[in-house]
Amino acid sequence: MSAPNDELLVMGATIQGFAQACVNLHIVAGRQTEGLVHDIDMMGMYPFERLRALERLVLHAYAHSAAILERVGMAMMLGWYHFGPGKQIVKTGADFLRFQSGSQGYASVVKGPENLVGFFRLVDLDERAGLAHVHSTTPFEKNLERGVLIGGMSAPADLDYIEVVNAEDPHHFRIEFH
Amino acid sequence: MTLDELLALTTPPEVLDLSQADLKRFFWKLKGCHKAQERDAAFWAATNENLKSAYEKLDEQERKLSQAYATIQADLGVAHQIQTALLPRPSRRMESDLEIAVHHRQLEQVGGDYYDYFTVDEGRLSSLPPGELPLPVQAGRYAIAVFDISGHGVSAALVMAYLKALFTQGMSEAEEPHLIVNLVNEQCIAFLRKIKRYASVNFVRFLPDRVQYVCGGGFGLILRQGEPHHFTRRDHFLGLRERPFRQYELPFAAGDLMVLHTDGIPEAQDAAGADYGTRRLYRLIGEHANERVEDILARCLDDYQRFRAVDVDDITLIILRRKGSR
Repeated sequence: MSAPNDELLVMGATIQGFAQACVNLHIVAGRQTEGLVHDIDMMGMYPFERLRALERLVLHAYAHSAAILERVGMAMMLGWYHFGPGKQIVKTGADFLRFQSGSQGYASVVKGPENLVGFFRLVDLDERAGLAHVHSTTPFEKNLERGVLIGGMSAPADLDYIEVVNAEDPHHFRIEFH
Repeated sequence: MTLDELLALTTPPEVLDLSQADLKRFFWKLKGCHKAQERDAAFWAATNENLKSAYEKLDEQERKLSQAYATIQADLGVAHQIQTALLPRPSRRMESDLEIAVHHRQLEQVGGDYYDYFTVDEGRLSSLPPGELPLPVQAGRYAIAVFDISGHGVSAALVMAYLKALFTQGMSEAEEPHLIVNLVNEQCIAFLRKIKRYASVNFVRFLPDRVQYVCGGGFGLILRQGEPHHFTRRDHFLGLRERPFRQYELPFAAGDLMVLHTDGIPEAQDAAGADYGTRRLYRLIGEHANERVEDILARCLDDYQRFRAVDVDDITLIILRRKGSR
């Protein structure tokens, strides 16, 4: 995890989404996260450190946090789809990958110096084969980001199978979907 | 039959005839279920691990808490012994003048009800103003005080010890009850306000054939030839106001009965929420006023225990009778 940098900003909706997912999943950090986000406006931009503070709550609370953060990421995107604008924006799992790599996706929720913001690039997408490759250098925790991909792709409910693997290189997500 | 129709069934069909596309979908659906199950298992394993760790921490905290509780209980046991040791025994002079029966019980191991017997400084009698005769030896040289400190437990007990020290000092500096109580109030008011505590006070000085008293929130009654004379309760509690306390007098001759108590008994409630009340207490005492003070006290406690649903306050009840023939 890199050092806090107030130049890197994240949209309030992302912070709120993380906190709400923690609450919905009844994980230990749930009640604490509520206290940390009471002043967050959904459309406002906040230092990325605010989101990292929430991530740290989970990391400190769980000895094996990878599965927890993945589930938080999934829950964030299911919330975004069912209770946010998601349903209007994406109709299929593959749509989510295109949306996320477009200007309205990741690029709209994190702002700041290019080297800190990084990118979320859809390197390859073969819908017939059900394969995709995403290269991500975003500042998000990579287990959380894997959950975001799984949750975002499964939310439209058109896919029977989704597997996202980044074990070899955390920044490269190999996706299989059918 | 399509895959969706198949999955809508509650029991498997006798003959299964799915298209190649549906079989393919079925394959991925099954794999998807397995994958979801794997993720769930990983999530719950992490959660269980966390829970296990939390229980271990909880066990450790409970162990520490038990140790701390045992230490506190031991300290409270000592504090109870100290507080009991601080309670007075009547002097021979008092016993020669009064029959005394006392019931004093703290709700917790230590508490805020407190009574004390004071002896007026010997030197005071010899420094009376010119022309004023010294009081007889057996009277005018002792006083009884009953206090009820707000709250319960250790803090109330410490305030009790603090007030005891102030009153002992006050007794050496003044003789009249209102002057003594005023001195104590002046000395304690800032501190008691700071710690948000106060105390009712009932201070009675015994003179031949009468008593002088200060009553700041306490309860007092004299039964004189069957007639009740209630203490005037117009004054404030100790530690609440800077206004001077007033002093009153009542006759108290041989054979007269006096009752001093805190609010523990009158404010006790029965199961229906009704107060015991002073009226019930005083009526009972009046009906048995000719008995020994110990017997009257025992009747009061029996009646109280039958009435009250639960004990909710410290209790002090003192019944005394002036000795001698009318």
